[in-house]
This record gives sequence, C-alpha cells and structure tokens, in this order.
Amino acid sequence: MARSDDAIRILQGLLVFGNVVIGMCGIALTAECIFFVSNPHGLYPLLEATGNDDIYAAAWIGIFVGFALLALSILGIVAVIKSNRTLLLVYIILMLITYAFEMASCITAATQRDFLTPNLFLKQMLERYNKSEAVNNNDKRMTEGVTKTWDKLMLQNQCCGVQGPTDWQEYTSVFRTTHSDADYPWPRNCCVMNAQGSPINLDGCKLGVPGYYNSNGCYDAISGPMNTHAWGVAWFGFAILCWTFFVLLGTMFYWSRVEY
Amino acid sequence: MCSCWVVLAFCCLGQLCAGQNLKPQIAAPQLATNNPTLTTVALEKPFCMFDSSLYPNKSYVIYLYAMKELASAISSLVTTTNSKPLNSTFQQTSGGKLGPYKAAMFNVPNCASPPKFTDVGDANKVSDVLKQYLFRVGDDGTCLYDPNFLAVCNPPLTPDTTYRFKYVLVDSTEGIMKDQTLWSDPIKTRRAKLPLKIDTWPGQRSGGMIVITSILSVLMFLLLAGLLASVSSAVMGSEASSAERKHMSQTIQQSELRPQLSSE
Repeated sequence: MARSDDAIRILQGLLVFGNVVIGMCGIALTAECIFFVSNPHGLYPLLEATGNDDIYAAAWIGIFVGFALLALSILGIVAVIKSNRTLLLVYIILMLITYAFEMASCITAATQRDFLTPNLFLKQMLERYNKSEAVNNNDKRMTEGVTKTWDKLMLQNQCCGVQGPTDWQEYTSVFRTTHSDADYPWPRNCCVMNAQGSPINLDGCKLGVPGYYNSNGCYDAISGPMNTHAWGVAWFGFAILCWTFFVLLGTMFYWSRVEY
Repeated sequence: MCSCWVVLAFCCLGQLCAGQNLKPQIAAPQLATNNPTLTTVALEKPFCMFDSSLYPNKSYVIYLYAMKELASAISSLVTTTNSKPLNSTFQQTSGGKLGPYKAAMFNVPNCASPPKFTDVGDANKVSDVLKQYLFRVGDDGTCLYDPNFLAVCNPPLTPDTTYRFKYVLVDSTEGIMKDQTLWSDPIKTRRAKLPLKIDTWPGQRSGGMIVITSILSVLMFLLLAGLLASVSSAVMGSEASSAERKHMSQTIQQSELRPQLSSE
C-alpha cells in the first residue's frame, strides 16, 4: 500500500508539474500570437489581397488557445491535488477540445505558409500595384493597401519588385498602363532616394546605371517575417501539443485509478 | 567598361576607322543595365567614327535614323537623290515601318576628350556623362501629341520589334551628307508577358508541414484511444465493484439474518 501511495504521489507531482508548464506555455503562446496578429512588418495587406491570409487566422486561434491552456492548467492542478474524479473528467474533455483547436491552428499555419511563393506576390503586385480603377469599395481598399505596402517596402528595404526590377520589364502590369515605359521603366521608389525622398538621379535610375536604382528583389523582405510568423505559430504549437499529449495520457491514467 | 573603352581608344589611335566600316553600338551593358527596354534603346554616340571625314573650320551635325528591320526590304535610303539627308518623321514612316525616320540631331561627340566613366559615381556629374556618352531612342513620350513641338520627335518604339539604326554626318552649312555608318546589327526591344500566365501553384508540400500534420494526427488518435480505454476500464471497474458490493451486501444481510434467526 505504501508503495502504491508513493507511486500515486509521484504521479500527482508529475501531473502538477506538467500542468504548470502547460500554463506557462499558454501564456507564451498568447503573447506570441498577439505579436504576430499586430502585424509588426505591415505585410498584412499583401496577404489579404491574395486571399491567402490564413496564417493570421492560425494566430488568432492561437491567442484563444493560449488563454484556454492557462485556465485549464489551473483547473488541472486543482483537480489532481483534490483527486476529484468529476473535475478530472471535465479537465480531460476540455483539454481534448483545446487540443483539437490548437492542432487546427498548427496545421493551418504550416500549410498556408507553403502557398506564399514568389510568383504569388509577383502576380498580385503586377495586377494591383497602382491600379487606378476599382471594381468596388473592397477592391479599392485592397488596392490601396497593396500600393502603400509596396511603396513602403521598396523605400525601407531598398529593393525593387519581387525578384528584381526586371519584373517590371518582363511583364505587363496595371502600373504600365498608366505610366509609360520611357519615363517609368519601374516605379520611382525603385530609384535610390536622397534624404528629401526624391531620386538622386532620374536618368541614371531609368537607364539602370548601377548605384542609382535598387537592383535586388523584395522577396526576402517579405518572406522573412512571413516565415517567422508561420513557423513560430506552427512549431511552438506543435511543441506544446507534444507535451500536452503526455500530460493528458498521465491524467487519464490517474483518473482511471482514482477511487470515488 | 574599361575593356570597351580600350577598344575605342585603339580604334582612334589606329586611324583605320572610316564611317563606312562602323556600325552604331548599343550602350555598354555595365553602364546601362536596363537596355533595351520595352520601348527604348540606348545607343552609344559615334565617338571617333567620322574623324577622317571632319574638316576644320566647318560645322557638322550628326543625324540618327531608325527603322524597323522589315523596312529594309522597302527602302533603307537615308538620302535623297542629291545627297541631302532625308527629313522623314516617325508619323510619315509609321514608326519606321515604311522606311527610316530621323530620330535625333546632335553635335559631333568630342573624340579627343571622351566622357570619364569614373565620374558615373558622382550624382552631380552622372547626367552629363550619360548625355555625352549615349543617346536614348524612344525617350520622349509626349512629342507625338504636342501640336507645338517643332524639334526632332523621338517617340517610344514598339515592344518586341527589331530595329536598326544609322548615324549620318551632315555638313550643317551646305546641308549635304558627308559620311554615314553602316546600319547597326538588329536590336530587338523587349517583349512583355502577361501576368495572367504566372503560375502561382505552390508545388510540393514542405517537409515541416507533413511532419506536423502526420504526427499531430497520430497523437490525437492516441489520445482519443486512451480516453476510450480509461472510460471503458472505469465502467468495467465500476460494474465489477458494484457486483462485488451487491455480493457483499447480500452476504452481510445473510449473516445478519442468521444471528436473528439463531437469536429467535
């Protein structure tokens, strides 16, 4: 009897410890997802216009799952210490539901990340940047978002186009319909700017003289934050779920051994 | 850049160049990387090409003619019968389709003091260097639609078309052609593809996504199986214990009955 008592005590201790870790991870997950949802790099308009913004949906789910994990971990600690069968069963059922949501969030983030290829952003940039006629209000809002985001991206990161300024020369675009190739082989923001925000030499920029235009593409500046976002949500969630799996198994075993 | 300049210097030193053996060249690709574009072509100005035909105390002007390559079948003459240079415009030749048109008129570039490529780094001097070194055909987008425009109009070229160019040395007082280069090699303007054709299919799934999906699915399945197992073992356990309790209560009742019976 003393041995099984010891074993029960050890199991209780492990479960309490497991729940403490789950609680802390829940807080961390909430904080991380709030950070991503707050759109620190200003890239959300690009994703919204492509219709591929599900990594943000995954982050939203992550916020609520984090809170749920915190609350449930406290419930779990109370239930394990009191050895109350009803509380433990409630804990297990609710944890399983939270587990399912978090699983959805991880898989969504990982899957949607695969859709964010250079061609996706290239096509959207060519079809929306500086589009003058909008079909409806929603279209207009998305077009303005895309244009502002690209202008800011090209200015801040000293880059041009998705893979380079030749994107503007190789493909026709909405921009090309309103800006002639002779004056604007590429948008003005592709030129190297001075402190006042105007190109240091327009002729050099138009001809492509090295040093007067930005010759590298913006894809790195876009994919870096997107990758951090998607992998942060997906892999951290995955790690939490692996830990939670063991805690839940232990709790189910404990529940089946507890006497009424 | 340097090697191209060495070649030109060589040419001038050798004095072997006469206009008839030379062709207009496209501007150095290290300097003008965006060339040719959809509607423009930047050509090197004819440095030292006409030196053998230049006489001192006379003023000269260089004309640049452009034509589409298919026009060479119709007519590629740039002079009239009495050696006067042709005064055709872009509109008259339908953009160079029916014959060459005059695209530019500028002074003879200075062979003795060519533009310094080292000045390209300086933002104040680069415009001058570019203006001295090259000429951009197709630069002016507005002269076609401006009724007041009187100078030589240099409208944008057509995309995906092959053009050929020629420089002609003209004596400005007599108005007679003195020398001309050969027609340049065919230079084709860029072709633009439609963005509709861009394939946005992501292709293969990444390894990370497959790992996450498969492992999480397996874990979920194991959890549900564990839940079922513990619930069923709890139910079985409670049946067994309730059967035991019934048995035990029956035994207790029986044992209680027996003393009663025995007491009676």
